Amino acid sequence: MKRSLIGRIWPGATAVVLFLGFVFPVYWMFATAFKANKDIVGDDPVWFPTSPTLEHFEKAVDAEGFWTFVANSFITTAVAVLLSLVIALLASFAIARMRFRGRRSFILVMMMAQMAPWEVMVIAYYMMVRDADMLNSLAPLIAIYTLMVLPFTVLTLRGYVAAVPKELEESAMVDGCTRGQAFRKVIFPLLAPGLMATSLFGFITVWNEFPYVLILSKDPSAQTLPLWLTGFRTTFGDDWGATMAASSLFAVPILILFVFLQRKAVGGLTSGAVKG
Amino acid sequence: MKRGLIAATGVAALLVSVAACGSDSGDKDSGSGDSKGKTLTVWFMDGSNPPKWTETVKSEFEQKTGAKLDVQIQKWDNIQQKLTTALSESTPPDVFEIGNTQTPSYAATGGLADLEDLKKEIGKDWTDSLNKPSVFEGTQYAAPWWAANRVVIYNKKVWADAGIKDIPKTRADLFKAFEAIQKKGDAEPLYLPGQNWYFFDGLTIGAGADLVKKDGNKYVSNLADPKVGKAMEVYKQYQAFSKAPKDKDEATPQQADVFAKGKTGAFIGMGWEADTAIKANPEIKKDIGFFTIPGETADKPEGVFLGGSNLAIAERSKNKELAEEFLKIALSDKNEGALVKEVGSIPNKESLLAQVKGHGAGEAAAPAAKGGGTTPLIAEWAAVENAPNPIKAYMTAVLNGKSPEDAAKQVEGEMNKRLSQKQ
Amino acid sequence: MSAQTEEAAARPASRTGKGGAPPASGVSQRTGRAVPYLLILPAAVFTVLLLGWIMVQNGLLSFQNLNRRQLIRRTTEWIGFDNYTDTLGHEEFWRVTLRSVVFTAVNVALVMVVGCLIGLLLARLGKRTRLLLLLGLVLAWAMPVVAATTVFQWLFAQRFGVVNHVLDQLGWHSMAEYNWTSGQFSTFFVITVLLVWQSVPFVAINLYAATTTIPKELYEAAALDGAGVWKRFTSVTFPFLKPFFYATTFLEVIWIFKSFTQVFVINEGGPDRLTETLPVYAFVEGMNNQHFGMGAAISILTILILLALTAYYLRLVLKQEEDEL
Repeated sequence: MKRSLIGRIWPGATAVVLFLGFVFPVYWMFATAFKANKDIVGDDPVWFPTSPTLEHFEKAVDAEGFWTFVANSFITTAVAVLLSLVIALLASFAIARMRFRGRRSFILVMMMAQMAPWEVMVIAYYMMVRDADMLNSLAPLIAIYTLMVLPFTVLTLRGYVAAVPKELEESAMVDGCTRGQAFRKVIFPLLAPGLMATSLFGFITVWNEFPYVLILSKDPSAQTLPLWLTGFRTTFGDDWGATMAASSLFAVPILILFVFLQRKAVGGLTSGAVKG
Repeated sequence: MKRGLIAATGVAALLVSVAACGSDSGDKDSGSGDSKGKTLTVWFMDGSNPPKWTETVKSEFEQKTGAKLDVQIQKWDNIQQKLTTALSESTPPDVFEIGNTQTPSYAATGGLADLEDLKKEIGKDWTDSLNKPSVFEGTQYAAPWWAANRVVIYNKKVWADAGIKDIPKTRADLFKAFEAIQKKGDAEPLYLPGQNWYFFDGLTIGAGADLVKKDGNKYVSNLADPKVGKAMEVYKQYQAFSKAPKDKDEATPQQADVFAKGKTGAFIGMGWEADTAIKANPEIKKDIGFFTIPGETADKPEGVFLGGSNLAIAERSKNKELAEEFLKIALSDKNEGALVKEVGSIPNKESLLAQVKGHGAGEAAAPAAKGGGTTPLIAEWAAVENAPNPIKAYMTAVLNGKSPEDAAKQVEGEMNKRLSQKQ
Repeated sequence: MSAQTEEAAARPASRTGKGGAPPASGVSQRTGRAVPYLLILPAAVFTVLLLGWIMVQNGLLSFQNLNRRQLIRRTTEWIGFDNYTDTLGHEEFWRVTLRSVVFTAVNVALVMVVGCLIGLLLARLGKRTRLLLLLGLVLAWAMPVVAATTVFQWLFAQRFGVVNHVLDQLGWHSMAEYNWTSGQFSTFFVITVLLVWQSVPFVAINLYAATTTIPKELYEAAALDGAGVWKRFTSVTFPFLKPFFYATTFLEVIWIFKSFTQVFVINEGGPDRLTETLPVYAFVEGMNNQHFGMGAAISILTILILLALTAYYLRLVLKQEEDEL
């Protein structure tokens, strides 16, 4: 099966071009963040930051309360994602492995819950939280974020659970495990990659969330990074260096997480996606 | 959503550290002595409160009352949503800055405390024109803090290079100067984006035009009035000297930042925007100059929009007396005078006007202030300025070649819808 | 991942049989009937109670005249169906709805086609180029929306934006200072590039992973029949991955239709409100205009429209669930 030179080269060449296309915006963000101002607004773009500077980062981090925002972002994201994973794992086990009345309704509710247009339901949630006197705290944020990622997590994990061969679980039970033990010792380790892959969606959703925290947390002690980032667009005007430095700082944790979990993610979402 | 620039809408704040005084909510605090351990929260808008002034007021307040002052700086982004929701909360900001054009509509909501008594005590000689927006249906709902109007901020070096010697006294002179800079070709004569709507508002005031008119008992758009069209034609002549985008306002990008690069002859802005430019590029400081926006004839400067901010107390505030105490300190002749000195704004009393002497931008602004005006002072107006502001769409349409009549027709539906919006 | 492979392979062959769900064995009889309910309880409580509560609250708001004044005073003014009749009677609502549907269709089609092509390409690549492309895809995928949107504003900035510069260099000089946000079409163009860039990785990576589960024998058999590239796709890949295509299209329809940050931030729905899609329209009317009751009504109409758009798939899935268990 010998192919022509072009036939052998084009997939690789296309891949390189596509790689450049997908990476460029990310690269440009970092590159701009490190460039001196005169290089950013010069008549010819400077493709590589030749004299890198950290001044934009200093400016970005200089914002009052920056570290509080960082801490709040990490806390809300981690708690909401973990919470949704635990809740979703239980539910997905039930719908993947068990037959019971109401199963279809439950799946339907989950699918419909994915359609909720969160941004425009802010005020309803706000009034509930306000009337319960729980504003300016992370708890109501974590609750709504968990809710936002839960349906996707349930439906995706369901696929992973279904993909674990039934026989493994049964043989564990033959060996004297209870169903709970069988789950813990046999199924859970096999699900680990799926859990990680699924959690990516949660991470990125919660990390980004903006309209809710805007009106639920007017007190800086309960605000998160997206508020800080969007605040820049006005404060810095067309100071693209600082804006890109801020964007870079905002993106880095998620980028690291993705690259780290990438291989899992690749095997991963398929089974979930296939099952919808 | 878009920061309303200078004309500032208001702000409000959130009572954060109320925890400490949560228990004594309900009972009125009886004077300054009891205020130890309390915290008064104040919302200022980003860019409104000069550092020296804030420092003085804060220490004076804390010394006199024993309470703590928590100053929170609010970003312009989404400020209306934040303010509206904050005013509905049980611990709103006690005192907040609110733009003069926004004051009537917030007064109508019942979210602002009645300040009649305060007015009697400290506001007898507040300048009438500045105080007008704070009075709604005969009741005082806010205290005038400062006002300011736009001036021409120019780059002396660019002007000198183009051979311009005199400061323009008429609009025709100004355009001639712009032409000279254009001919020289080193710099953009003027930076004026298509949606600097408060400058346009000033031009309509200069042309004696009204933006709304009464139709029965409702307000409707008056953009189709030829006088408005004439003001827009003037704007278009100005804008022809600029390469700035026709569909952006002066905050995206910040015009002062563009100016700071030294490639712009002039821009039309608030005096303190010069400080923004200097912050972006300290080199430019020595080249910055100011002059009054010239009118059609030398004896009368161009009409200007008198932007300004008031200070209001939230109706739901649990520290109203403390808040009034704060207003008395912040607006005392001494502190108000210091504010004028620091930023060159127009004070709330005529007796303090002299303080502006020596402040370049302030002196340039003062001559036009007399002929200044505001947006229509009706509660319905605020809705018009909510993004996307139909008047900005009107401006862009005309600049892109539509006739003022057609452009007015295009946005009238939206404008009338907003004016008749249920309150 | 071999378990997964078998699983996936088994599914299409016995759609009505096993298909990932257990045969009703003795296991479920031994465990109590209550177990599944206990397992779904937390999820159900969370979703039904919290989301349900929000939806009910939202529904109630949609029948109220709720503006600044009512919100601040905490008063309730019932106005019946006024918000709905006002919205539905407004020609603008229908224009925005149509625009959203077209916008969603175009973007989903682009995302699916480009995503599938890249996914198939991934399967053909050598190990190293594949890793390289995967890295690029993952980085784009991982960019937080707020950051990505800001970066695209910078790429397409009128002055000093790199896109305009490159177009100018390539000889298209009128683009040197082109203002991308000045027109409806060009604004949508930027938004579409952004959305496609962000959404393609999900489709491509998953399609690639899914193709690895297709048994090689099927392709070999097809090759013996003399099938070309296209034929192999239509006769093997596509039928095998049909559930995948349905599920992914469903997710993309939802995500694109609901995309708010990207559409709103690039140009705030401008120029002249010509790029408002339904979620942006609801936000502008509800939050910016502080007409909260009206916003609630529009949000409920938005949900109904989304349900209508996805009804076909929802029915399909429900039917399939029935068959499976």
